[in-house]
Amino acid sequence: MRKSPPVKGGDFFKTDMCLNGILPERNTYNSNTIKKGNHMTKKMIETAKQRSNIYGLLSLIYRAEINMELLNHIKEPGFLAVLSEMGAGLGDDFMNRPEEDLIEDLAVEYTRLFLGPGKHISPHESIHHERDDGDWGQFWGKSTVEIKKFIETAGLEYKDDFTGLPDHISVELEFMQKASAREAQAREEGSNDELLYCLKMERKFIDEHLLKWVPVFCDKIISEAELSFYREIAKVTKHFMEFEEEEISKYISEAEKAVNQK
Amino acid sequence: MSSLSRRNFMKLGMAGGALLAAGEGLKGSALAGSMKLQMGGRDFSPETGSERKAIPTACWSCVTRCAAMGFVEDGRLVKMESNPASIRTEGKMCSKGQSGINDVYFPDRILYPMKRAGERGEGKWKRISWDDALTELSGRMKKLRDDGHPEKFMFHYGRMKASSSKLIKSVFLKGYGTKTIGGHTSICEGGKWTAHELTWGGHYDNWDFDKTDFVLNFGSNVFETHTNHIPTSHRLIRAMVERGVRLVTFDVRLSNTAAKSNEWVPIKPGTDCAVILAMCNVVLNKGLYKGKGEAFMKFVKATENHNASVADKIAALKKHCANYTPAWASRISGVSASKIESLAVEFGKAKTACLVSYRGTAAHYNGNEAERACKMLASLTGNIDNPGGRCKAVGAGWKYPHLPKSSKAPVTKGLNVTNGHPDKGHPQHSAFPSHGMCQSVLKMIKSGHAGRPEIYMWYCYNPVYVNGENDENREIMKTIPYLVTSNIVYDESSKLADLILPDATYLERYDWEDMVDPNQIGEHYIRQALVKPLGESEDLGDTCIKLAERMGFPLGVKSKKEFVQKSCDTTPGVKEAGGFAYMQKHGVWHPPDKKPYYYRYKNVIPASATKKDGVIYDEVTGVYWNWKKSKAKSEAEAKKKGYSHTGNAAKAYVGQKIGDTVYEVFKPDKIPKSGYLELYSMLMKEKGFNPLPTWMEAPEHKTMGPDDLIMTTYKVAVHIHSRSAHRKWASEIYHDNPGWINTKTAAARGISDGDRIKVKSRISEIVTTARVTEKIVPGIIAISYHVGREESGRYGSGKKSPMGHDNDPDLKNMWWNTHGQHPNFIIPNTPDPVNGQQAWMDTVVTVTKA
Repeated sequence: MRKSPPVKGGDFFKTDMCLNGILPERNTYNSNTIKKGNHMTKKMIETAKQRSNIYGLLSLIYRAEINMELLNHIKEPGFLAVLSEMGAGLGDDFMNRPEEDLIEDLAVEYTRLFLGPGKHISPHESIHHERDDGDWGQFWGKSTVEIKKFIETAGLEYKDDFTGLPDHISVELEFMQKASAREAQAREEGSNDELLYCLKMERKFIDEHLLKWVPVFCDKIISEAELSFYREIAKVTKHFMEFEEEEISKYISEAEKAVNQK
Repeated sequence: MSSLSRRNFMKLGMAGGALLAAGEGLKGSALAGSMKLQMGGRDFSPETGSERKAIPTACWSCVTRCAAMGFVEDGRLVKMESNPASIRTEGKMCSKGQSGINDVYFPDRILYPMKRAGERGEGKWKRISWDDALTELSGRMKKLRDDGHPEKFMFHYGRMKASSSKLIKSVFLKGYGTKTIGGHTSICEGGKWTAHELTWGGHYDNWDFDKTDFVLNFGSNVFETHTNHIPTSHRLIRAMVERGVRLVTFDVRLSNTAAKSNEWVPIKPGTDCAVILAMCNVVLNKGLYKGKGEAFMKFVKATENHNASVADKIAALKKHCANYTPAWASRISGVSASKIESLAVEFGKAKTACLVSYRGTAAHYNGNEAERACKMLASLTGNIDNPGGRCKAVGAGWKYPHLPKSSKAPVTKGLNVTNGHPDKGHPQHSAFPSHGMCQSVLKMIKSGHAGRPEIYMWYCYNPVYVNGENDENREIMKTIPYLVTSNIVYDESSKLADLILPDATYLERYDWEDMVDPNQIGEHYIRQALVKPLGESEDLGDTCIKLAERMGFPLGVKSKKEFVQKSCDTTPGVKEAGGFAYMQKHGVWHPPDKKPYYYRYKNVIPASATKKDGVIYDEVTGVYWNWKKSKAKSEAEAKKKGYSHTGNAAKAYVGQKIGDTVYEVFKPDKIPKSGYLELYSMLMKEKGFNPLPTWMEAPEHKTMGPDDLIMTTYKVAVHIHSRSAHRKWASEIYHDNPGWINTKTAAARGISDGDRIKVKSRISEIVTTARVTEKIVPGIIAISYHVGREESGRYGSGKKSPMGHDNDPDLKNMWWNTHGQHPNFIIPNTPDPVNGQQAWMDTVVTVTKA
């Protein structure tokens, strides 16, 4: 089968193909490309990439007990300096514990906080997301189904070896890691339509899922944590969610402007 | 937490990024795959979050019928895209295709069978049940059939292709017994096809933009509309952008195609033929035919003698074109002689060059000759059926269920009302109406010389609106005893009907499809219902199956879906790929190993084929043909009448003798030409025309006064000819059609931009608005089709249809209240004398301030 090479340049059909109410989508000829080298664009690409990294980092931290490799990275002076600049002050229990002991402490804390047995803070949306219809507070609730459907319809799938529940916090953060990376790609390619689409998807995910439960979840960790590490990470997570809530709408109005300007 | 600045988050991001990139042990994750935005088989709405189901199907907005993908959300069709797997469209879709979903949900749609309750055209209707509708229609039809007069049931269609055509025409109407079947091709581009049938046999032509080096375009708005629009237009723009291929467009108007061309050559309407003939003159006199042109001439007939040498042929054409100098063509066309010459040289010298022509060239009194002249220019430069040239089109071949023998019609008859008037000299006569004469059907019915139908049924067609002389069409329609249509929209014609059946839209039905593949390979594809037919609407194919059942000649299938399914399950290739199940999943299939088809004319016919029973040699043409497949009753009769004058001889063609070899060459289709590409046509000569492509001027242009203008028409990118005014997205973009008039022409008449103007032809007058512009040649006025609707619902005409509802929130958002002025009221129904094509672009008018 012949494969079509990408059509470079050309803004043909610009006026004719953009129908009110539907996006021109991929089958236009790169109709509204942002000018390359634009300073603002570069900054926005960078922002999307760094947001993706933050989601990735948080996803990693919440996914399982911290292993030695991760701990070594976190303990690097550069990394600690960034945390400290953000006001995430890690106490003596982190800074001055021998590493073998710290690893053990963190694993115990992770288990106590997130896994049980006994009273724990289950890191799943369906437990914390207080829905109006009352369908929450249990595993595999409505939110779980929604998350799975959301993620799968975006073209991703759960790996065979992933045995957790679909709405684990690390999965949701990983989804956002991928979504903001995709956003960065759309920005790099100058595809405003894809960018807008991607941003709307991110906003929907943030508004309807992350913000509905992650801040509450973080508050619970902050009050229950015994070690400074998880307490401070929870603070960073919560504030990052606030940052995201504020920023995403700005990005969307900028992208809408760009799409409408063509 | 102290500093939650953006800066700090960016730092955290960078630190996190470094960490994530550092170690393998940190890479585990839960999710695989890559994120898809809007593409491919699964999609979801960013607004509602609902999952969308993607179903492969095919468009039906224009005749291109692109393979498509429909997205359905909770049972509602929400979006149309192209099918990325299609080798024709390569994943592209035009605005017409995208607005197709408006067909399903527009608020003035016909959803129930309706029976007329007042006077014809009064707009009073009664909703009736399907059972009552079918009882009434089948009762009337059965009576005609039982009385031995099936021909008194006339079926007239606009768009009907592939399986729709086969089921309705080749199965249902065949079983019923009527041959009074009219198409619409002559008001489209039928004349171009006839010119093809006279020269190289069948139609269509495919323009091989993927491989061409130069494109010379006469009167095709290929970037906005075309018979194979998206498959060709996206290839042309790609050739231009990626390979720097030059496109030169001759047009009276700066269309979007002309605007996107490397060069727009403004030209007086109806004079393309003169320019093309002059280009042939240049090619011949400068010896640019030498090389591949000369080699190709072996397969061309250019003199009366079918054994003529190439040198004789060149000499004959040189003689014929001697007076068609660039200076002569310049006086006629307004194009400078030097421009004609330089473009002819560029065309002649290009490694491969593609000659494009369409309605701007063909829909004239002299369209047949212009198209034949195109074939001459392309032949002389060797740009016929070669990579990069003007190729014989390749589509997909399908098998389909035929009419059961037990359902054969007892009587088969037709009224001769579909091919114009038989008398030479009659204004509605043409010599070779091989695609009918749609525009004269109602006039023929009025004249009654060939009888009149009792029942006139039309489908995907709007006889009042789409032909010229709209007022007369309406009056003649009213005289026909019983009028019935199957339609989705209440339009200018359905308002006259006695019975309206609610047709399913193309997005609610099944078909197999076969339109031209620009790869020269052929793509099989299907259309499948994306959603259930709305209301009580039903595909006319299904209705025909039920009607046949009631009349006692069952068609052998229970539904259109079954017809399509059986076609998929029996068509070689498709069947092995998995048949209907495969096509439902993928929508498209093409033979994976098939090579593109070029140079078919060089195929040699084996000697054994010329020795088969019934095959005889025709001395006059050099054609081998099988008289047993013709209408000749004996070999003696066949020999006496000869190949060219025996009924059905074209179907009996075997091969053309050239030298000592018999070649397949250019097989005839509807017209019994020889196997050569006939620049010299004996058949034309016998009908009193010049056998070689010749300049002819429209008679009414010869007698034009100083104040007269020529009115031309055109199409725009967002609309289908007459079937999209009800689509809100299309009409929001384009709902008014002011007459384009050149600044000088307007000034001479005291007309300013925006003025109301009166446009008057010999038959009638209209009042419209002037758009004064430099984007059109002086001496003409151009008015597009599509709009100026009397009916077609609120989005198209501002008028609510009798069966309309108010449940479309966008009715409140409709901000436009102008609906344009249709030009056809003042366009006479005038055929090209050779092929019957409606001469849309020749109307002589005066334009004054209203």
